[in-house]
Amino acid sequence: MTMRTDAPLKTSGAARYGLDVTPPGTVYGYVVTSTIAHGEITAMDVAAVRAAPGVLAVYTPFDPLPLRTPMSPLLGETWVPLQDTEVTYYGQPVGFVVAETFEQARDAALLVEVTYDRRPARTSLHAGLADALDAPPSLHGEPPTLQVLADGVESIEDALAASAVRVDATYETATQNHAAMEPHSAVAVWEDGRLTLYSGTQGSDLQAAQLAQALDVEPARVRALNPFVGGAFGGKGHAGVSAFLGAAAARDLGRPVKAALTREQVFTATATRPATVQRLRIGADADGRLTALAHDSWSSTTATPSFVEPTSHGTSREWYTTPNLAITQKMVPLHVPPTTFMRAPGEAPGSFALESAMDELAVALGMDPVELRLRNSSIAPPGRDLQWSSKHLDECFTLGAQRFGWAQRHRRRVDRDWLVGYGTATAMFPALRFPCAVRITLRPDDTAEVATSGADPGTGLRTVLSLFGAEALAIPPERVEAALGDSTLPPGGMSGGSTATASVGSAIAVGAPAVIDALVAVATGPGGLFEGREVAYADGRVFAEGDSATFGEVLRAAGRDEVTAIGTSAPGEEMTKHSFSSFGAQFCEVRVHRWTREVRMSRMLGVFDAGRIVHEQAARSQIMGGMIWGVSAALHEGLEIEESGRPANGDFASYLIPVNADIPTVDVEFVRYPDTLHNPVGARGLGEISVVGVAAAIANAVYDATGIRVRRIPIVLEDLLE
Amino acid sequence: MDITLEVNGETRHLSIDPRVTLLDALRERLGITGPKKGCDRGQCGACTVHVDGRPVLACLTLAATVREPVRTVEGLAADGRPHPVQQAFAEQDALQCGFCTSGQVMSAVAAVEQEVADVREFMSGNLCRCAAYPNIVAAVEQARSTKESADARV
Repeated sequence: MTMRTDAPLKTSGAARYGLDVTPPGTVYGYVVTSTIAHGEITAMDVAAVRAAPGVLAVYTPFDPLPLRTPMSPLLGETWVPLQDTEVTYYGQPVGFVVAETFEQARDAALLVEVTYDRRPARTSLHAGLADALDAPPSLHGEPPTLQVLADGVESIEDALAASAVRVDATYETATQNHAAMEPHSAVAVWEDGRLTLYSGTQGSDLQAAQLAQALDVEPARVRALNPFVGGAFGGKGHAGVSAFLGAAAARDLGRPVKAALTREQVFTATATRPATVQRLRIGADADGRLTALAHDSWSSTTATPSFVEPTSHGTSREWYTTPNLAITQKMVPLHVPPTTFMRAPGEAPGSFALESAMDELAVALGMDPVELRLRNSSIAPPGRDLQWSSKHLDECFTLGAQRFGWAQRHRRRVDRDWLVGYGTATAMFPALRFPCAVRITLRPDDTAEVATSGADPGTGLRTVLSLFGAEALAIPPERVEAALGDSTLPPGGMSGGSTATASVGSAIAVGAPAVIDALVAVATGPGGLFEGREVAYADGRVFAEGDSATFGEVLRAAGRDEVTAIGTSAPGEEMTKHSFSSFGAQFCEVRVHRWTREVRMSRMLGVFDAGRIVHEQAARSQIMGGMIWGVSAALHEGLEIEESGRPANGDFASYLIPVNADIPTVDVEFVRYPDTLHNPVGARGLGEISVVGVAAAIANAVYDATGIRVRRIPIVLEDLLE
Repeated sequence: MDITLEVNGETRHLSIDPRVTLLDALRERLGITGPKKGCDRGQCGACTVHVDGRPVLACLTLAATVREPVRTVEGLAADGRPHPVQQAFAEQDALQCGFCTSGQVMSAVAAVEQEVADVREFMSGNLCRCAAYPNIVAAVEQARSTKESADARV
């Protein structure tokens, strides 16, 4: 097994991220943000800014850079800054100062005086629950309110009332920020009416398309580059304010512009995962079989509604067999920072509620929580005909329970001053793929290139491209170079939704036979090494009877620089035959300090059924990281928004994410069933499922340790004081 | 003001604004971009470099105050071979997006050189949002055993 192919570049400092580029003549942009959450800007005094040393330009809504609102099929509209005087959240970009140096731009930006006509701000999700609005239709196009009732059942309330055992509880999850280590940034360079943009995003072609629309230039005149991306997690899908303002200012000034958000600005001027409130009502018979499941969800969203966290549609809609299901999804528009998808959108906070409620049901039934989940495992989403293509969740649970020592949980567990508890939860995340094109090139030096515009924000896509290319061409991966992160390459779409491996793998499965056909045509064509003969390709060689040559030899003999083919793929007929998801079983052990009530996650195991595992080491790393994200959601992170709309903890000192000392070893295991009904390579994606269920498993373990049920994350000491 | 920095064994002369941090001097004036700006507040550790052999947050250090030699992640390799800590990070997959890695590696080199007792505690000034923490600890342990066997040979 080869190591992650870009590890040597990343460990030596040689990997070039967006801001690592400094073209000659670069000047520096600094964003100015609002200090109120709702109102109108009536004036901006920038006289002192213009007079400050080194300042080249000041852009405001009164002196804006013209930008049009881009629209894309995948992302919808993307907000562009400075086009009007409305303020709808604290920390909204309202100005942009460009100076010769970073220090000059930063200091001058502090001199901007903004006058506001302030209006009341709605910032409390709780206060807005009473007049919440229906959310837009779900990913599947289903209405926000949906019921599946058994024949003869009048209402979900009737079904619940008739259930032998019932749980009714309300859960809350916090606003979160993706907090990728690389702040959103851009370096923009114009040459001869063409823009080159260096900016870490989840899809270079999407970035280029958004910039072209915003700047009103032909798409072919924008090249977006992101060969290395310093983390994304959903927060770098839309093009950001640094890219829009940097590119527009660079055009205006005729100089390359470098712009980055400060860490504090990242917390407001990018986007967040919405806060949620969720009510779960579950009914079961005495044997623990679900008879009714109701999941009502409320999500915060922006003042003009945008992204809504689909907690009920993302979980209860599909996870368990139940004859009666009712889900609702509502939204509460607030004057808070933009909302967008973040790692396992819907599933991560939704699973905290559903899987906590399932634990409460197990307690009410006196049943093993693992057994309860096995007993209600779904064959297909309730009310849908299409069965799961390949589901081995039972094996995840039984293998995991054995490996974790789940049977030990009945012992009274106190370790000195620490109360020890075990918790478990189901994880599910839909298996998706996007339309994708990959170019495969064979070269005379017996190497190949596999190229797509998609991004590797730490997921390992670069390594996966080499491995799939090597497999499809039957040559060693060391001879396959991967190219990505460049919008001029064939469109690879967005690295999001845990789709990239399945998407590129499917495209390579189409492209490799095509490039081999092209090679054979060269070998057997006029002037070819095996002109007019019967040949076959295997292991990087072309075989004719009694003779063979490497593909490089074939190309050299024909005087060819390369042969190339583009493979394209998209979801298709399989969607009419099966439902697709990955599955997992989460287990964790926590320790709660008897006196201080400090909670420590001391041990965790995740067992996953995610189809074929392509690169064992990178797969384990990604899963481990996602499970730690779950720990973070349970015990650390939450963006606290004050009544005024100002984030109380919008920096890395006070927005808590785990540090090394918070995390002991994390155990990861896979059950390996390639899902070739979903795509030809059988891999279903790993980026998101690992987060799902962990927060519930931890809260369930806290209950096991203390007898205290905490229904709000992150869990804090006060929740556990008796 | 005019300053002189010794970076990775090379003497570099700069004429800079006194407000320029060591991080911005390295990145924006000298083209040494291994150290990263994750927060500019000393809260994330992505900018960690060594000054006179000690790990330092380059974003909280004014360039004009630096008198001793500076070493960045680019200066660790010797004779074209990666430093044992760099090798261990690659082999243990102690990274994903890689943005924090330069800082992690510099702290890890200090952890190995100082033979710290509690690796996880020592490495906790370097945030990793991809959460490669267990692999980072494994990398430090690997580099430490490499160093111990090298020391034993000497």
